[in-house]
Amino acid sequence: MTSTLPDFAAPAIRVRDLRKSYMVPERESGLRASVRSLWNRQTREVVAVGGISFDVAPGEIVGFLGPNGAGKTTTLKMLSGLLYPTGGEATVLGHTPWQRGKAYLRQMTLVMGQRNQLVWDIPVSDSYELNRAIYRIPDAEYHETLAELRDLLDLGPLLTKPARNLSLGERMKCELGGALLHRPRVLFLDEPTLGLDVTAQRRIRAFIAEYAERHNATVLLTSHYMADVEALAARVIVIHHGTLLFDGVLAGLVARFSPHKLLTVDLEHPVAGLERYGEVVSIDDVRVTLRVPKGSAAAATARLLADLPVADLSVTDPPIDEVIDRVFSADEEPEVPASADEALVTTA
Amino acid sequence: MPRYLHLLWVHLRLGILNELQYRTNLGVQLIQSFMGLATSLLGLGVIFSKTDNLAGWRPAELLAIVGVYSLVSGLTQLIVRPSLSRFMEDIRLGTLDFTLTKPVDAQMLVSMRQIEVWKLVDVIVGIVVLAVAMVQLGATIGPAEAVLFVIALLAGVTIIYSFLMILAICAFWFVKLDNILQIFQSMYEAGRWPIAVYPPWLRAALTFLVPVGFAITVPAEGLVGRMTIGSILGAVGLAIALPLVARWFWRIGVRHYSGASA
Repeated sequence: MTSTLPDFAAPAIRVRDLRKSYMVPERESGLRASVRSLWNRQTREVVAVGGISFDVAPGEIVGFLGPNGAGKTTTLKMLSGLLYPTGGEATVLGHTPWQRGKAYLRQMTLVMGQRNQLVWDIPVSDSYELNRAIYRIPDAEYHETLAELRDLLDLGPLLTKPARNLSLGERMKCELGGALLHRPRVLFLDEPTLGLDVTAQRRIRAFIAEYAERHNATVLLTSHYMADVEALAARVIVIHHGTLLFDGVLAGLVARFSPHKLLTVDLEHPVAGLERYGEVVSIDDVRVTLRVPKGSAAAATARLLADLPVADLSVTDPPIDEVIDRVFSADEEPEVPASADEALVTTA
Repeated sequence: MPRYLHLLWVHLRLGILNELQYRTNLGVQLIQSFMGLATSLLGLGVIFSKTDNLAGWRPAELLAIVGVYSLVSGLTQLIVRPSLSRFMEDIRLGTLDFTLTKPVDAQMLVSMRQIEVWKLVDVIVGIVVLAVAMVQLGATIGPAEAVLFVIALLAGVTIIYSFLMILAICAFWFVKLDNILQIFQSMYEAGRWPIAVYPPWLRAALTFLVPVGFAITVPAEGLVGRMTIGSILGAVGLAIALPLVARWFWRIGVRHYSGASA
């Protein structure tokens, strides 16, 4: 910090070339190799995060996407101060997270969908009471925040039950409530909707959006459910194999990684030979969905309208799930070059 | 410090409130405590039916040892043992992350997170037995002995806490260490007797390797007026040094945890 004046333009989260690698023991299978490894240990370096940089502005909600093992959780853990990085730097609210200063920890929260912070056997309100003591939340503020959270999350009937008697969705609501009692300014949410049904997911999402809006909180959220990201985050950061693949608005992700448009056509009667207009994704009686390269979508549309008895036609972007899927599976099956696709249509 | 006393109080209060729902636990704990006490007393009875002193200790003095044993055991099992078991479980499950992201000293927090209220029964039993022993010893207890006893008892509890903490911290490296605290418990039981009754090698082990001698025999020595300068200095010295070692080891453990775990 070079200045004591508040810097309104400063990002809430600033990450530069952040890296983390682990040394993992490597051992051949078999007894002899195991015994040998007792004194002659072979280790191998595994890069979990290989140098990523980004900024997040105060009040922004950013979705953090990537397949399992991409380095999402490792990054969140470095930003919440749990892991020392191997290299690079990061500041959150002006603090270096892994110094674990109390002033920093007081302002952030970490929620992990697959791990519980609530004490299993005691009523939820008692777990809250412990957090209140840990964060030294003044009485008035505590009651105000609790009342607000109770309303937003509908916690009323849940607070007196022990955590073990709650359903998964109820427990997640209570976890979130407990993690926000001290009104953190930065939220790290690792898979907050994991395993929840659609209704509960929607509920949690609406709550996160509402909280961030009310308190101008900065949220970094990882999720497997694209719906979470679509509903909450205008901006997404995609990482894969520890490197940053994309950082920008969600629509841009589609534009960048999907070279296709979907044409959905309602015909007056079924027609054969649709392959000539593009790749057939589905045929349901008279409703046909075709995938065509973005550049020739207009031409394909014109030809469809001219050649066929079209009742209705719409041009859409492919679902975001599909786009992401293509991005992540890119190295398993080499993507067909866009030009080859183009060729397919022009010859048709 | 007042802040941590407040945190301890909150944990204690919640522990009591929650345990009051399960009254059968009180019954079980009462039976357990009195069985333990009966075993000790029966042992004493058998020994003193043959002789009237054991390694120089008279019956009432040995009763004082039984009292200190129960008192120290109650105090550590009330807070330290259950909290450290939970800490090791938290490492295994990854939920220690929540503790480490709290704006309080994490070592203090893990040391007081779980309270087993019913172990207060052992504390009370210990105090009653001590009172009986004191009445039997009568005139020999002056204010100096009382002060020495309290100092030695505090030192003893600090030593046991630090020792258990050091054992528990090993879980940062060896995740599966469920039994280590149980093993300690069985060694602790050797403290029912003055360590002078054991052969020299075992006495040395119980003094320096597993500091049960300092935690139990020394406070009792203070009470019955047998304490030597050497033993009280040793106990106080260890009560200062061991927490520092535990703290140093804790830092290394946390650094290891944040450096290697995924």
